[in-house]
Amino acid sequence: MELGIEKIGDITVVKVLTDVLDASNTEEFKADIAAVFEKSKKVLFEMNQVKFIDSSGCGVLLYCLRQFNSLGGTLKLYGLQESVRTLFDLVRMHRIIEVFETREEAIKSF
Amino acid sequence: MEEAKPLVLIVDDNPTNIDLLVSTLKNDYRLSVAKNGTKAIDYAEKYLPDLILLDIMMPEMNGYEVCTRLKATSQTKDIPVIFITAMSETEHKTRGFEVGAVDYITKPFHAAEVKARVRTHLSLKKARNHEIYIASKIQKALLLGQPPKDIDGIKVAQLTVPSQKVDGDFYDFFKVNDKCFDLVVGDVMGKGIPAALLGAAIKSHFLRVLNELSLTDKEKFPEPEKIVSSVHSGMIDHLNDLETFVTLSYSRFDLVKYLFTCVDCGHMRTIHFQDAMDTCNLLQGNNMPIGFPGQDTFSQISVAFSHGDIFIFYSDGLTEAKNRSGNLYGEKRLVDFVMKNARFEPEDIINKLWEDIVAFSESETFYDDITCVIVKIEKESSGRSISYESELEINSELKELKRVRAFVREFCENIPETLINRNRINLIELAVTEVTSNIIKHAYNKRNDKQIIINAKASNEEIALLFCDWGKEFDPKSVPPPVFDGSREGGFGLYIIAHTVDEVEYSRNDKGKNCTCLKFNLTGG
Repeated sequence: MELGIEKIGDITVVKVLTDVLDASNTEEFKADIAAVFEKSKKVLFEMNQVKFIDSSGCGVLLYCLRQFNSLGGTLKLYGLQESVRTLFDLVRMHRIIEVFETREEAIKSF
Repeated sequence: MEEAKPLVLIVDDNPTNIDLLVSTLKNDYRLSVAKNGTKAIDYAEKYLPDLILLDIMMPEMNGYEVCTRLKATSQTKDIPVIFITAMSETEHKTRGFEVGAVDYITKPFHAAEVKARVRTHLSLKKARNHEIYIASKIQKALLLGQPPKDIDGIKVAQLTVPSQKVDGDFYDFFKVNDKCFDLVVGDVMGKGIPAALLGAAIKSHFLRVLNELSLTDKEKFPEPEKIVSSVHSGMIDHLNDLETFVTLSYSRFDLVKYLFTCVDCGHMRTIHFQDAMDTCNLLQGNNMPIGFPGQDTFSQISVAFSHGDIFIFYSDGLTEAKNRSGNLYGEKRLVDFVMKNARFEPEDIINKLWEDIVAFSESETFYDDITCVIVKIEKESSGRSISYESELEINSELKELKRVRAFVREFCENIPETLINRNRINLIELAVTEVTSNIIKHAYNKRNDKQIIINAKASNEEIALLFCDWGKEFDPKSVPPPVFDGSREGGFGLYIIAHTVDEVEYSRNDKGKNCTCLKFNLTGG
């Protein structure tokens, strides 16, 4: 899966360059994101490409959060599309992961 | 059961004559006697005798008058009347035939002659009845089609009143697809069994042509003008041999484009009532009737229609129904009637139309067949049945999830925006993704060589999505509830399903087929 990695100071911004994060590609996402775990303590996922996430997609985001947390790091998200936000509300993801509207807000918060 | 002997009514004021006739006929027939005209008419209307022997010279009402009155009443007009009288001048006899008698016997009569004439006319009547019976059987069985029941958004009602002589009025419906159907309405010139059989032949020729044309071009249903041209070229020789022709209109109702297309071949002008404008248009083409030589191509006309519009097709028997003074019902009266009643349901319009024709003509029997077909395009608001159905079969692979969502999204595009919004469609996409991936992951245990069939149905009230698989049985108790603290990655699927759908049902049959049905309400939710 294509992930665009960008460094802004000590923050790693990961552009999730897929329009779908569902059961069909969460394993792939898990494998590809593993490289980021070791390298950074502050990670921001840019989500504005993603049009659709299902429960597996939520699951893999939670997996990432736990991985970063266990290594003493943090994971935040920004740029959710309306359809993704609907699901986040439904499964209360916003209570677990910090979600921001814009990149600036998110970066400021670290 | 043995057939009852025919009933003969003897009308005479002279006891000697009555005795003579009774003794002549009593062995072969059931007999009744009326001693004056008024009693004769009352009896005839009440008991409908098979034949009447009628004296001319009677006090108060004479035989001519009695006969005239009998012929003017629809129930009694077909009872054969034989005059029996001492008046033998030709002009008396002629007058008898003029008022509707079938025969004339002069006094003094011979018993054998009376017997012979009564027998002859009874058997003629029986033969006539039999022909009418057969012709009306043909009409019912072969000439009149049934409207398609499974096309939503239209309502159809028909009126058919066979005349005593049955002519070749016919109509039929051909379904093109769920959103499109054809209607042919026609009238064969001529009467009786020949016309009825010819009507049936034309109808079956239409079926044959439709079949042939759709075999040559499987992609596209043939255009009405092509269909009519083919029927014409196939029938022209037969029609020329029989020296007859057929007027008809072949129409197509396309409920996707809201387009009415019609090939009119000299038929009665179709009335198109436009609900929004509150006007009636009379639709007329410029083709000659089928069977007229020198015409090779037929042209069609198209008009747009919208909800609430109605189309009225009818035979000339309707507009040419006569009243007592000989005036015709007429196209104008029909149009006025439609303007007044177009907002009722087609079934009610037909009933009211029948009442109007009867009131106009003061009769319930007519010289011509009366045929009328009304097609109403239902209003969206009152139309309870928007209805769509679609099906998708996928392999049990997770990469198929995309197709499942696209299928649902496309399906939802059929549903008016007033009933479903973008957010709702997002939730439905979410739910179908969860169900499908559960089936692949759990029921099929990630085997990717299995099938899942998804059937989608929508009405005004709800969307129902049915998922069928042939994998392991699903046990809801085996699924732990979701945890929202981020400590577990899984367990959200069922929670999402339960919180996005209005109803979910799971069942498994004894052949190992699992069915999961999701329902989404479209009203009040």
